[in-house]
Amino acid sequence: MAIDPATPDTTGSGAIRTASGDSPVAAEPGGGAPSAGIGPYRLALRRLRRNKVALAFGALFVLIVVLCFCAPLYADHVAHTGPNDNHVTDTVTVGGEEKDVVSVSGLPIGPTWQGRFLLGADQNGRDLAVRLLYGGRNSLEVGFVATFITMILATIVGLAAGFYRGVVDGVLARILDLIWAYPVVLLGIALGTSLALGGISIGPIELSGNSLLVPAVIIGVVYIPYVAKPIRGQVLGLREKEFVDAARVQGASSLRIMTREILPNIASTLVVFLPLIVANAILLEAALSYLGAGIQPPNPSWGTMISDGIRLIPSAIHLTFVPGAMLVLAVLGINVFGDGVRDALDPRARVKIDAKGQEKFREDPMEIAVEH
Amino acid sequence: MVRFVVRRLISMVLVLFAISVLTFLIFQAIPNGDPAVRMAGRLATPEQVELIRESWGFNDPLWQQYLTTMEKILSGDVISYTQQLNVMDQIKQALPATLSLAIGAGIIWLFFGVVFGLFSAIKAGRFTDRALTVLALVGVSTPVFLLGAVALYFLAFKLTIFPNGGYVPLTEDPIDWLYHMILPWAVLSVLFIGVYSRILRSNVLDTMSEDYVRTARAKGLSEKRVMVRHVLRNSMIPIISLWSLDFAAVLGGGAILTESVFNLHGVGQYAADAIQQLDVPPVLVVVMLGASAVVVLSALTDVLFAFLDPRIRLTG
Amino acid sequence: MRYWARALSAMLVALALAVTVAACGGDDDDGGSTSASTSASTTSGGGASAEGARQGGTATVLMGTAPDYLDPQLAYTTQAVEAHWISYTGLLTYRHEEGEAGTELIPGLADALPRISDDGLTYDFTLRRGLRYSNGAPVRATDYPYSIMRMIRVPWGGRSFVTNYVEGAQEYDEGRADSIRGITADDNSGRITIRLREPYGAFSNVLAFPALAFVPRGTPMRNLSASPPPGVGPYMLDEVVPNRSFTVRRNPIFADFRIPDIPLGNLDAIRVSIVSNTNSEAQQVLNNQADVFDAGDTLPPALLPQIESQARDRFARKPVPSVYYFFLNTTRPPFDNEKARIAVNMAIDREALARIASGFLETGCFFIPRGIVGHPDSECPYGDEPDLEGAQRMLREAGLEGAPVTVWGQERSPRKEYIDYYTDLLNRIGFRAEERIIADTVYFPTIGNERTDPQTGYANWLQDFPNPSDFYLLMDARSIQPTNNQNFSKVDDPFIQRQLERLNPVPATELDTVAAEWQALDEYTAERAYVAAFGGLSVPKFFSERMNFDSVFHPLYFNDWSTLSLK
Repeated sequence: MAIDPATPDTTGSGAIRTASGDSPVAAEPGGGAPSAGIGPYRLALRRLRRNKVALAFGALFVLIVVLCFCAPLYADHVAHTGPNDNHVTDTVTVGGEEKDVVSVSGLPIGPTWQGRFLLGADQNGRDLAVRLLYGGRNSLEVGFVATFITMILATIVGLAAGFYRGVVDGVLARILDLIWAYPVVLLGIALGTSLALGGISIGPIELSGNSLLVPAVIIGVVYIPYVAKPIRGQVLGLREKEFVDAARVQGASSLRIMTREILPNIASTLVVFLPLIVANAILLEAALSYLGAGIQPPNPSWGTMISDGIRLIPSAIHLTFVPGAMLVLAVLGINVFGDGVRDALDPRARVKIDAKGQEKFREDPMEIAVEH
Repeated sequence: MVRFVVRRLISMVLVLFAISVLTFLIFQAIPNGDPAVRMAGRLATPEQVELIRESWGFNDPLWQQYLTTMEKILSGDVISYTQQLNVMDQIKQALPATLSLAIGAGIIWLFFGVVFGLFSAIKAGRFTDRALTVLALVGVSTPVFLLGAVALYFLAFKLTIFPNGGYVPLTEDPIDWLYHMILPWAVLSVLFIGVYSRILRSNVLDTMSEDYVRTARAKGLSEKRVMVRHVLRNSMIPIISLWSLDFAAVLGGGAILTESVFNLHGVGQYAADAIQQLDVPPVLVVVMLGASAVVVLSALTDVLFAFLDPRIRLTG
Repeated sequence: MRYWARALSAMLVALALAVTVAACGGDDDDGGSTSASTSASTTSGGGASAEGARQGGTATVLMGTAPDYLDPQLAYTTQAVEAHWISYTGLLTYRHEEGEAGTELIPGLADALPRISDDGLTYDFTLRRGLRYSNGAPVRATDYPYSIMRMIRVPWGGRSFVTNYVEGAQEYDEGRADSIRGITADDNSGRITIRLREPYGAFSNVLAFPALAFVPRGTPMRNLSASPPPGVGPYMLDEVVPNRSFTVRRNPIFADFRIPDIPLGNLDAIRVSIVSNTNSEAQQVLNNQADVFDAGDTLPPALLPQIESQARDRFARKPVPSVYYFFLNTTRPPFDNEKARIAVNMAIDREALARIASGFLETGCFFIPRGIVGHPDSECPYGDEPDLEGAQRMLREAGLEGAPVTVWGQERSPRKEYIDYYTDLLNRIGFRAEERIIADTVYFPTIGNERTDPQTGYANWLQDFPNPSDFYLLMDARSIQPTNNQNFSKVDDPFIQRQLERLNPVPATELDTVAAEWQALDEYTAERAYVAAFGGLSVPKFFSERMNFDSVFHPLYFNDWSTLSLK
């Protein structure tokens, strides 16, 4: 299964679209579960533990997350300045020499490799390292919240559409198609521009335009179809299975069947999608911020820092490079880790290594690509 | 077949209708987004604003405004708010650049995606595979605007090997056209190569465990022949359908970031500018264009595959 | 097998071909046209720099922002008027000189400056004889009322300068009249008479707008940006591809008219390309791949060190009469309290803002900028050095500590950075400030809307014409309106109103006689701290090595393209 290109240039979306065909159903009971008495998840975990590359990158991602969430500690105890504190006309002593934080012609200082301005400053004389950490916190928060929204809503929509079929499915599938056919970044910036101006108010929930949650909600909504569609496909198959019939005969309510019988069986799909959506949400946030429709200033995010820095590339490339590298590392970390998780849950991708006699259970990818 | 086409057409019309309504509403919701105020100019009096509002029909009920706009779009004489230019003409002007980008990049990413993916699958589990995997994921994890800006700085500005963005029409100077397109193609392709090589790799591995591949091997066919005739051929089907979707997305203005970093003046850049200026008519047209490109191309691929492989049913 | 193999190999070949071809592509700069048409004489004493300059050739101008319109009667932005003021001449125009000399009005298609009646209400002109449009059609006096009507009808963003003052223009605008009562013209005598409703000193300046230039009677009353109408001027617009490129080409018949003080131009053609990315725009000029960096664009600060070392002799910062300021809404807390406004003025570090602007900001604390009559030469009332402690103390004493403030700003750089700085500053002196950055296009409609009623935020004003009354429009209580309000601080001060009533009717040609009074008025405004002004814009004059650098930089229209020449 793929990683979605849907983000950066967005375009893509195609990859996640066919991702449906790739849903790892291997962990499904009656499917490819090995009979050795070990649960499929345990087995997957064991496989994952053997994948050192995936673990290393996963650790890298966790490290970045921890660092970013410690931003206030760094700001208070090392840099002694906040993320939005301007020091345009201040000076800093580097190697016994007094230097302008921002030169008269507006060029910020580069890395000083000391507590103050460790990685240099930006055009407003703000400490780049502090902003990097706070920015990371914002980017990650948006990524996580967006993923949460996508996962919850996509599960509900996918379950309902697949389980009830008929009218419910018809309506939900049309709505998904609508979001799906809408060019991702266009939808993102249209919503972002509009909501950054107006904020969101749904019933009792009111978000002002510069709230972090606005881009999170937008991104969360944009990715729903990419997860909901494969789930729906899987549920369509599962609801015909014997164990569902058995539950129905025993008089279980629809809600109970969905949560107790079907949900555990689509869990592995959700697990596979989780890192994927996190990675893409972070990238989409960066793209939206680059186009001015993401996180609102003065709050930093990796995307806004990069887009602010690009103007200064020729003489202060650190302003682009530092947040850029951080963003790429974080997304790469979660992508490689996610790839490992997928491999672990879907061992067929590892035929050569350890897939002897793994039974195959899977819908023909083509069928799903055709049916939408 | 006829039923398929009809059903697809109906669903396309529905999707386009819904998308246009959604887009229209998104822009209606913007506070102070009243186009009349902007069109009247910074010094206009309220009376002058009202005159514009009246003459452009911004005082009509929402549904009527929507219908008028759609009617103008369908008849081809829709005018933008900001520069009051015919939107269709503008899109026609932008299309060659976008088409050049989509076709060139599409070929490149398909080719390298397949090559890397195949290579990775053949070497599955070994170091080469791991390295290619990480490399592919680096490509996937790097935002296009970052890669593009850095590439422009080093290759176009520092080393002046490539031109600094811009688009030269193919008909004007084919060599210069190519020279201007190479960097955008490369940058846009990086991401897709990553995606495609990953997908192809897993498809190939899947196919290799299929019974008919084992049968073919058992029959004593050469490994090369098995790979190309059975494995690759079957693994390519999802890749092609994916490709058509991505291609459609780029064509429909999806490559906003690439287009603006390289200043190609394509459809995506036009739409992004229009969004920033809250200029609804161009946004509506581009979004509908993009959506129809996706819908039409995916239908075409379905037909193509149904034609190639009778096992595939056409469901609408 | 064959199918895939063939497909793959075809792709490979195509790719290899592409790569080789590209490698041979090379840099093909269109290398300056060879045409040596030197027919244009400079006898009629064109601009100073035109004397002896090389004639002919083509130069490329890059613009980061597309002109708003190329129809002269719709255009309002600097990018458009740069091309228009040499292609569309009205009754009056400005002298093609740098600095203050360039603010002098000279007759354009009129044979002399206006004869103004004693009550200041009637402006009388006579059209020069023998004028023809760039398409060869003769210019007639009755084209003028038509052009003004077209300007109102299409409609031009600044038309209130006309509709507010010219008799009958308002009625025409609102559709209550078929023509403008106050403008009469006679083809035989060439006389054109304009009657005003009330005396308006800056009206001569208004007449010099390219939007009030002559176009032929019968020119369609709709946006002609894609194929601009013919005009009278040393150049004409040609080959327009909207939002992408256009060419300003020499108008061969203009030389016949022998209009004094309007240079005939040196270049045969100026090609203008719109480049959305100012980084690449500046790099191309630096690398001599293009000739002129449009002065209306922001030069990427990161290229400054390189430009200053490699291109020192073809780069200059040119101050433009303009005011950049933070407005302070005098009708809402906390800035209804004068102490709060003074505290902001005390704390503001203009040097910091100049650095954020990469030096493209000339600091200042007065509302009337340098280069405009009435700019005070006194000290800033609240000192030059920022006084944070003083400001904090003042807020504490006024009991305004912790007062919530929303700061409004525009997205584009460095305006966003100004607001980042300003918000931080307000927080430091004791307010509880929060930032709201919104899209460039909706910014002024939003903060000019009664419902937003913003407390403070960014604003700026570039002169429409070199007259202090153009700036005081923004301090005039009469310009407070529910939408499109421009008096963002909502200043309603009886003293200012009284002074404006006296000063506004003074004709542009006699401004010097009231300079002291304008100065006193502006000092008063600064003392009351109605805004926190922080300076005026300077813009880059940046050419390639192919160009002579001695061309005129005009205070209103920036680079004077009619004085550009190749080395």
